[in-house]
Amino acid sequence: MLTWTVVLALAAGVYGQRAAGALFLKADKLPDAAKRVLDKLPLAIIAAVVALTTVTAGGKLVLDARLAGVAVAGFCAWRKLPMLVAVIAAAAATALVRVIA
Amino acid sequence: MIDTLRSWVLPSGTIFGIGEAMTVAFAYFTVGVTVTILHVSEGTSWSAMLGVIFLVNSVTPGLAYVAVTDAGGSTTAGVLSGWLVSSRFGLFAAAIAPYLWPSRWKRALAAHGAFDPSVALGLREEAPIDKRRVYLAAAFWMVVPWWIGGVLGILIGSNVGDPGALGLDAIFPAVLLVIVWPQLQDRDSLTIALVALIAALALVEITPGGVPALAAACAALLALRPPMPVGDSTEDPEEEVG
Repeated sequence: MLTWTVVLALAAGVYGQRAAGALFLKADKLPDAAKRVLDKLPLAIIAAVVALTTVTAGGKLVLDARLAGVAVAGFCAWRKLPMLVAVIAAAAATALVRVIA
Repeated sequence: MIDTLRSWVLPSGTIFGIGEAMTVAFAYFTVGVTVTILHVSEGTSWSAMLGVIFLVNSVTPGLAYVAVTDAGGSTTAGVLSGWLVSSRFGLFAAAIAPYLWPSRWKRALAAHGAFDPSVALGLREEAPIDKRRVYLAAAFWMVVPWWIGGVLGILIGSNVGDPGALGLDAIFPAVLLVIVWPQLQDRDSLTIALVALIAALALVEITPGGVPALAAACAALLALRPPMPVGDSTEDPEEEVG
């Protein structure tokens, strides 16, 4: 759940980074190594978050219907289907597995 | 007036055209609706959600926060992972900034629209003036549908009964997976994603909540390795992250 305090903290951090980038950072002066790591940082966190929200609950590994839904989403992404299709298919697959199980 | 608006949102003589504008608009509208439904059905108030839509102006920080705190992580760990996820926006804003205006106020304002596609589409143009025009136009086609979708999502999300029965809890990782999918095409990115995934799952039962996602961020350090030659089939060293 996102509270206003959290929202303001997130907004300050996100906008702060955008504004700092636009005003102070000289992208061509940044060391190449730093650019490469920063470039991949979101990917690493998002991959971890995908894994955590798919097969864990409350700090424990839990395999349930979510895995089926995310697998379907991955298939849709691989087939380059629109995001809306991928998302609806993922939710439907998850709900279906829950009904069957 | 209409013509001015039209030339602003769809600049003429640029590589960027209405087809791409519609694709981007549709994708961000969808993200706005789904992510908002998710947050609101989890208990986020509609007013805080408006804050996410207009002030944070990005999807992934909120999602990362929820993932970390739901796993038992502290508020601080959640906010920190939200900031780390959005670290790329600073670089994006820096990349487009030389083509914006000399005025610091205008540049600071335009930085709010720094997203992955707006900067990429802007920088793709040839002429410096077109880079700015397309950056602003692409940001418009992203931000406005995302705002509209977000408000719609608040209305729908407030009326959803049990999110689990509708499979809405799977939407969360599904959206993120679809967002990062295009990045997984090259070998180095795929390695980083897999190492982060394995590290997070390996740590989830033995570390306090919040640690797995933040520790997995270290997988980005693998980008320091020299680029892999194309077609090299030797195994990737994966012991750098523990």
